[in-house]
Amino acid sequence: MDISEDRKADAVVLALSGKLDATTAKTFEDKILGVINSGTQRLVVDLSQLEYVSSSGLRVLLLAAKRLQGTGGKIVLCSMKDHVRQVFDLAGFSSILSIYGSRDEAIKGL
Amino acid sequence: MTEHLEIKLSNKLSELDGFNQALAEFGRQHGLPNKVMHDLNLALEEILTNIISYGYTDKLEHDIKVRLRVEPGEIGIEVEDDGQPFNPLEAPEADTTKPLEERAIGGLGIHLVRKLMDGLEYKRQGDRNFLTVKKKTQES
Repeated sequence: MDISEDRKADAVVLALSGKLDATTAKTFEDKILGVINSGTQRLVVDLSQLEYVSSSGLRVLLLAAKRLQGTGGKIVLCSMKDHVRQVFDLAGFSSILSIYGSRDEAIKGL
Repeated sequence: MTEHLEIKLSNKLSELDGFNQALAEFGRQHGLPNKVMHDLNLALEEILTNIISYGYTDKLEHDIKVRLRVEPGEIGIEVEDDGQPFNPLEAPEADTTKPLEERAIGGLGIHLVRKLMDGLEYKRQGDRNFLTVKKKTQES
């Protein structure tokens, strides 16, 4: 898995590619909590290049969303492939996280 | 072409990559649809991660065996481990409807296995867990 970071005004966009699974989730956790701990309140996670997600990856997103909710911040997701979206739906995550079709819409939705 | 395949791995998360490659190769050999392979890959990752992370009270190396079998219209999978007794069928159902602040971090893996697979059976024999999973390979 690769993670790239981009800043748009006061929002941080993390774009993931590859597989977010039990072996890569810790890398993503360290990255996203690092970004939140450095004071970021508005976070977009772009999943357009993500091929696979398991519960280990969902756990990190839930942790980040709870952390940001506690500080009045917000996290939104965008651009999931269909089979990744299916996992979010089955886990009931589509109802607790905002998911947009594109990065631009996600930034507007923050 | 193998109709049966046994993949053996030890109780380390770093073993999952090699396991996934062996699983993907099995899927290619049998021409299994991408959707079926995605769901199998995910369910097995969840099952194996649970065993590796929570199944053992010692720090020793243990073997986990995964047996795959192609049958008409479905794939049968048996996962055997010598960890603590764990029956996923008795694990509490994850609540996927609560609001964010009340949503629990655990339990999602087994929830996904239940949702993605078409049959789940568990037995404990001697000091071993046997979990049998079925996945249909055609829409019924």
